[in-house]
Amino acid sequence: MAAIPRTLGAIVTAPLTWIARAIDPPLRWWQRLTGLNGMAAVFLLPNLAIFGVFVLFPLVLNVVYSMTAGTNILLGDRSFVGLDQYQRLLTCEDYTQAITCREDMFWTAAGNTFFFVVLQVSMMILVSTITALILNRNIRGRGFFRAVFFFPVLLSPVVVGLIWRWILQRQGLLNLIMVNLGMEPEVWLNDRAYAFTATIGVSVWAHMGFYTLILLAGLQAIPKDLYEAAEMDGTPPARVFWRITLPLLGPNLAVVLVLALIRGVQIFDEVYVLTGGGPGTSTLYLTQYIYEVGFASILRNPGLAAAASILMGLVLVVLTLVQLGLSRRNEQRGSRQ
Amino acid sequence: MGRIALNDIRKSFGKTEVIHGVDLAVEDGELVVFVGPSGCGKSTLLRLIAGLDRPTSGTIEIDGADVTRHSAANRGLAMVFQSYALYPHMTVRQNLSFGLENTKMERAEIRRRIEDSARMLEIEELLDRRPTQLSGGQRQRVAIGRAIVREPSAFLLDEPLSNLDAELRVTMRAELAQLHERLGTTMIYVTHDQIEAMTLADRIVVLRKGRIEQVDTPLNLYNRPANLFVAGFIGAPNMNFFETTASDGRAELPGGLHIDVPQDGKITAGIRPQHLRLANREEEALEGTVTLVEALGAETVVHARALDGTAMVTVLSGQPNLGIGDAIRIALDRGEVHLFDAEGQRIDPS
Repeated sequence: MAAIPRTLGAIVTAPLTWIARAIDPPLRWWQRLTGLNGMAAVFLLPNLAIFGVFVLFPLVLNVVYSMTAGTNILLGDRSFVGLDQYQRLLTCEDYTQAITCREDMFWTAAGNTFFFVVLQVSMMILVSTITALILNRNIRGRGFFRAVFFFPVLLSPVVVGLIWRWILQRQGLLNLIMVNLGMEPEVWLNDRAYAFTATIGVSVWAHMGFYTLILLAGLQAIPKDLYEAAEMDGTPPARVFWRITLPLLGPNLAVVLVLALIRGVQIFDEVYVLTGGGPGTSTLYLTQYIYEVGFASILRNPGLAAAASILMGLVLVVLTLVQLGLSRRNEQRGSRQ
Repeated sequence: MGRIALNDIRKSFGKTEVIHGVDLAVEDGELVVFVGPSGCGKSTLLRLIAGLDRPTSGTIEIDGADVTRHSAANRGLAMVFQSYALYPHMTVRQNLSFGLENTKMERAEIRRRIEDSARMLEIEELLDRRPTQLSGGQRQRVAIGRAIVREPSAFLLDEPLSNLDAELRVTMRAELAQLHERLGTTMIYVTHDQIEAMTLADRIVVLRKGRIEQVDTPLNLYNRPANLFVAGFIGAPNMNFFETTASDGRAELPGGLHIDVPQDGKITAGIRPQHLRLANREEEALEGTVTLVEALGAETVVHARALDGTAMVTVLSGQPNLGIGDAIRIALDRGEVHLFDAEGQRIDPS
């Protein structure tokens, strides 16, 4: 029988002490049996269990679903079709013409996603870099502006989508301002080009604070002495940027590039709320396609959605591996310095 | 040419003035060392000369021309930074050429300068390496090389050896002295290490709280310190100070030892530890108790407390048989006593 705790500290820690005492004998037995490496497994087990249930199991389930057909959700009611769903997704007469593909919406969404990612990531890096460069200067109210630019990152994507829909819809804030200024209102979200541009702009606005923060940290890590040495040498500001700032910011830019690419490919929530993929299919991106094929359409096809998500996942795996490679290279470079 | 003159230089950060009207002339080819405790303004003064900071008032002249409002690049100076400030993504060769490329200098001339300085500093084999692949000493050489290739009218060196280990610091110190001898260019060198200052300098500028306390040759500073601060700052271990009151041209030190003084009143007598020795039985002596013995082999540093409680240090040659708690009698050479008045200013013997 454990002694009754007398002080407040002892009372607080008593349950933990009792648990520790209770699990001590089996742990000792396990260590005797498996050695120290076996103990590592014990401590990793809780996390592995969570990972297994919430990541690994759904992943395996998704692969299994991608090899089945039918509209039923329960696996037992579905028929095994092997790689048919992948074949359906990837069959095209002319790969440059989405309309000639068997699953033309997939290719339309993939094409939209490709152009969205290229433009959004370019814009994101440009805007984040410029913002980080400005915030890195000794300007008045620097702390305030840093908070302002980071604030949208804290918003839920649905809130972001709603805010911008409220601004950009036909009778929204932007048109109201334009009318008051004597200009003709525009159908921002009903025009293909405007809507596509809006999804890029809104996602840049929503996420740039995060990337700005990464780049700002990179800028602040560049020793001030290097700039003073350049100043002593009479280096023009443009040359300082291209020859000193940019190369030294390279590792951070690489991380930002890969992270932005990954998040760009995954874009869904704010665009779905803002445009719903329209007008037509002009802002239909891959994740929305997967969602609609798997869950939202009348003739839902979870197998096809699963196959599409596996293909998208493969793209993300490649991008993640690139990111890991870059991070490792930065770590090695950092440890050498 | 590289004559640098500072005329009533003041510098404030916000409402705080950190440099209080400094006047100084550095002659062409001279190696002047700024020395002083942390926060005395020595690096600030160097940055003002470099043009990296602007003085609040006063003027800076280089070879007679007022450069106070000139940019750093237009002063014809080169600076060696404490951190070396080498561009980590460039090779040594690119580090050396980077500044020259700004001046649209011809490639052949850039190559010649790089090769000359690399030969002088013995870094020829390192030219294609990056700074991360170099040792501390090699980086330091490259940093100096980057300054040399610009062929400046003066070098400004901000604690260039402080990041090196003790052994390498001694080697690099000697190399810097040789380099100055060979180039003959004006150098202003900032350090808090008085051994560096004493061994390198033609003249030393002792700074305290943004003011110059004394400017003189190393030996003059050591032999004739202008005030209590300089006397205490220059020389290791620090000078011993005994406060006393003089009357009729005589002052008494702890233990009954008497010295002649040229003026009456409150004075401070300063005696360097090296000018104290163990007293004979019959001679007048400072008396006290040993509190610490540091045996260095060739000499022994003995810390003691005088009868009136004043701490004193003496450097004795050899290995005297002394231990903590022993009574000690210390004699001094009266010709080596420095006297300071109540304001801490030097009193010259009449």
